[in-house]
Amino acid sequence: MTGAISLPRASKPALFVLALAGYAVFAYWAAHSTLYIQGLVLVAAVFGMLAVSLDLVAGMVGLYSLGHAGLFAIGAYATTILYNDHHWNLFVILPVCLAGVGAVGLLLGAISLRVSGLYFAITTFVFTLVLTVFASDFKFTGGYGGLIGPIFPEFPSWLHWAGTSVTWACLIALLLATLVVLAIRVSPLYPVLLAIRDAEPFAAAAGAPTAAVRVGVFGLSAAIAGGAGWMFAFQGIVSPSQFSWQVSVNILVMVILGGINTTIGPILGAVFITVFPAQVNINPFWQEVLFGALFVAVIVAFPSGFVGLLRLVWRHALRRLGAGRARVERAVETPAAEAVVAPERVNGAAPAAPAIECHGIVFRYGSGPLVLNHVDFTVRRATIHGLIGPNGSGKSTLVDLISGRLRPVAGSIEIEGTPVDRQGVTTRVRHGVARTFQSAVLVDELSARQNVQVGLYTRVPRLGPRSLAWPVIPSARRDSRALRERVDESLSFVGARSWAPVRVSDVPHGIAQLTQLAAASAWGPRTLILDEPLAGLSPKEVEHAASILTKLKASGVSIVLIEHQPRFVFALCDEVTVLAAGEVVATGPAASVRENEQVREVYLGQ
Amino acid sequence: MLQVLLSGLAIGAIYGLVGMGFAIAFYVTRVINFAEGQLLMVGVMVAAWLARTGLDPWLAVVVGIAAAAAVGAVTYLVAVRPVLAFDRFSFAWLVSTLGVALILENGAALIWGPTSRSFPALLTGTSVHVGSATLTLQEVVTIGLAVVVAIAFELYRRKTLFGKLGMAIAHDPEMATALGANTAVVAAAAFALAGAFAGLAGVLIGPITYSNPYLGDTYGIAGFVALMIGGTARPAAAMVGGLLLGILGEAANKLINTQASDWFPFVVVVVILLVLPEGLFSLVGPLRRLVLRRSRRTSPVRVAG
Repeated sequence: MTGAISLPRASKPALFVLALAGYAVFAYWAAHSTLYIQGLVLVAAVFGMLAVSLDLVAGMVGLYSLGHAGLFAIGAYATTILYNDHHWNLFVILPVCLAGVGAVGLLLGAISLRVSGLYFAITTFVFTLVLTVFASDFKFTGGYGGLIGPIFPEFPSWLHWAGTSVTWACLIALLLATLVVLAIRVSPLYPVLLAIRDAEPFAAAAGAPTAAVRVGVFGLSAAIAGGAGWMFAFQGIVSPSQFSWQVSVNILVMVILGGINTTIGPILGAVFITVFPAQVNINPFWQEVLFGALFVAVIVAFPSGFVGLLRLVWRHALRRLGAGRARVERAVETPAAEAVVAPERVNGAAPAAPAIECHGIVFRYGSGPLVLNHVDFTVRRATIHGLIGPNGSGKSTLVDLISGRLRPVAGSIEIEGTPVDRQGVTTRVRHGVARTFQSAVLVDELSARQNVQVGLYTRVPRLGPRSLAWPVIPSARRDSRALRERVDESLSFVGARSWAPVRVSDVPHGIAQLTQLAAASAWGPRTLILDEPLAGLSPKEVEHAASILTKLKASGVSIVLIEHQPRFVFALCDEVTVLAAGEVVATGPAASVRENEQVREVYLGQ
Repeated sequence: MLQVLLSGLAIGAIYGLVGMGFAIAFYVTRVINFAEGQLLMVGVMVAAWLARTGLDPWLAVVVGIAAAAAVGAVTYLVAVRPVLAFDRFSFAWLVSTLGVALILENGAALIWGPTSRSFPALLTGTSVHVGSATLTLQEVVTIGLAVVVAIAFELYRRKTLFGKLGMAIAHDPEMATALGANTAVVAAAAFALAGAFAGLAGVLIGPITYSNPYLGDTYGIAGFVALMIGGTARPAAAMVGGLLLGILGEAANKLINTQASDWFPFVVVVVILLVLPEGLFSLVGPLRRLVLRRSRRTSPVRVAG
């Protein structure tokens, strides 16, 4: 996703087929090589799977799990015990393993997600630790000595030419795990996952159930780890020391050293860490010192890991070939003449009901002072309603309450006549409410186009399950195309179409604001809440934004506009509510509010 | 029971010192230095080696602590600073500090051999009777010193400019830099101080464990858990976490079985984290407010803020 590396579109499938062919040749070679090499390939492939599965949660949703050695252990022990003691068929055990460890992952994820960041790592760490302690203490797990694993069935005679079956099996398993993660990476779920990782409020406001998605992804990652455990059982012995918490840390090292959130990085890391100690035969202490020194050297020189190194080489090669890209000058364009984004009826609300109605809202953070004191606030349909007031008057808090990020202490909120007091952010989105945030909350490493795609989360049916095989589902391909058109329409509508492929970290402030607006309006909400969309824009850009809002209003969208600069507000808005110190000073038609004595005193400073 | 409590405190003080080492480095840089346990080992090994060469054991101990501090600062400059300069929010430091841990551990094994060697006895020869329990003077000094150091650090952090600078950098390094703070120097100093804490823990535990290159693993992980119990808001809280962990471990060994200290404390930690995701000390704020509100209700004078 660097943008600097791009090949002609048509050559991508060809490259993919070429890579697969190369992989098959390697597998054939490995399946015919010595037992030593086959053992090494098995272990490298298993750790490759583990690294790929950990990268799925760490790289895409930011959960640095140290529970993967534990999940891995469950898979390996379950396979060995079910086979040795209960004589199950190995290929019945595999789906049981995937589903079982996946379920454990869902449970672990659901429990540990109460805590985040570092604490998530420590909770999952303890999971691994306790599992290995139990594995060493119980009889049925064979204690410290462990258990002897099953032997992988030979190929039938007509396949004998292919070589050793288990080598093929582990390489195919690694390939499948990689392809599933790759499918997610190219699906429209990917930007949503990164939004959950980097800009959670944005993802939630787009209607994505962020906690559920996180747990689901963790479950999938656990299932892959369980599959790796199944595969690992064929390596010979299954014993507690192979699944210690250090193994969890090692897997994380593989991911980061290889390149986090990349397709091949985790595999490169896994191969390096499993093969290096086996192949470098020097004094073991010197070897470990060298190993450690390589960690430091690689990560200090290339903080994004081996993949960072590869990218550098690749870019160098491209430059040699003279494929330097011309810089394209971009600017804000005139928005498309028509309001292409027609609001859709999500549910049959009575058109007479106001878009938003708040009664007697009281709010305080924790046990702090009152932020909002009995606020009544009504937004009529298809109007622009300005919400103004000095810093700290409670404007942003009020819209957080309306969108469901915060819950009021007292008072009630109705959206289009439906009480929403008991509903969370995502449910309120389904009532047709979209919002933007004060300082653009977007995913920096994604392009403007991908960011707008996040806003369309609710528009893709069953995105989660379908993302697992996205590139090969025909209906998904259709959806991708439709999605792309919708995104580009939305970007054209705000006049930022030419910025579509540019990373958000590289766009100017005004374009980031417009991208937010495009993301919020792309799916056709009936109510838009815009938190200071004009802040930091040049006068020309403000004019541009105002024309967009007017168009949205004309197409029937109700808009709440939080703003600091009074002159734009009164020109643009039909109605205005003035907040000061958590109370409504005045509300009503813009003209009459402007004439209000108290408003002039409190806010306009006249 | 008293014996369990006091022995627990003695070993817990060591965990607490290492935990504070983790916490101090984390506090300023948001980095977990995975080589923190190995800094303890550096302190032990250097002190033991100097004592063997005939240096006065007390001087050897001081040099050991200084060596741990120096290695801590070097860790920051070599393995942490370049990574943070690239991306303050990446986790790449995990790999580089683990790399340092590998280098230190195996480097020590290369230089001094992988087996246990002697360590000067210092104060272990004298016993102290407390009620029905018996401690060595070394253990008593350990507990006392750990508590004093924790309190001194906390005062230093809150009252001095340098301490406040640390807080500012922890909160927003870019802003702190803009205000003229030299983040690199403060962070390197924090890593050195963290190393000194680990080194101190090392020379305090050395007479019991003797010197061996793999000490870092055991005490590193225990110190890390101490940090988790205490939470990351105040480094001194890690000392309380360590003391608690020490008592839990001793009690588990006595009351469950001899291997229970391998897992029992960790289970307790998870329960604590699930109930109080921000660590044990997240209770302090709400409790204080509760008490304050009650006293406010009884007094007519309103407390500002």
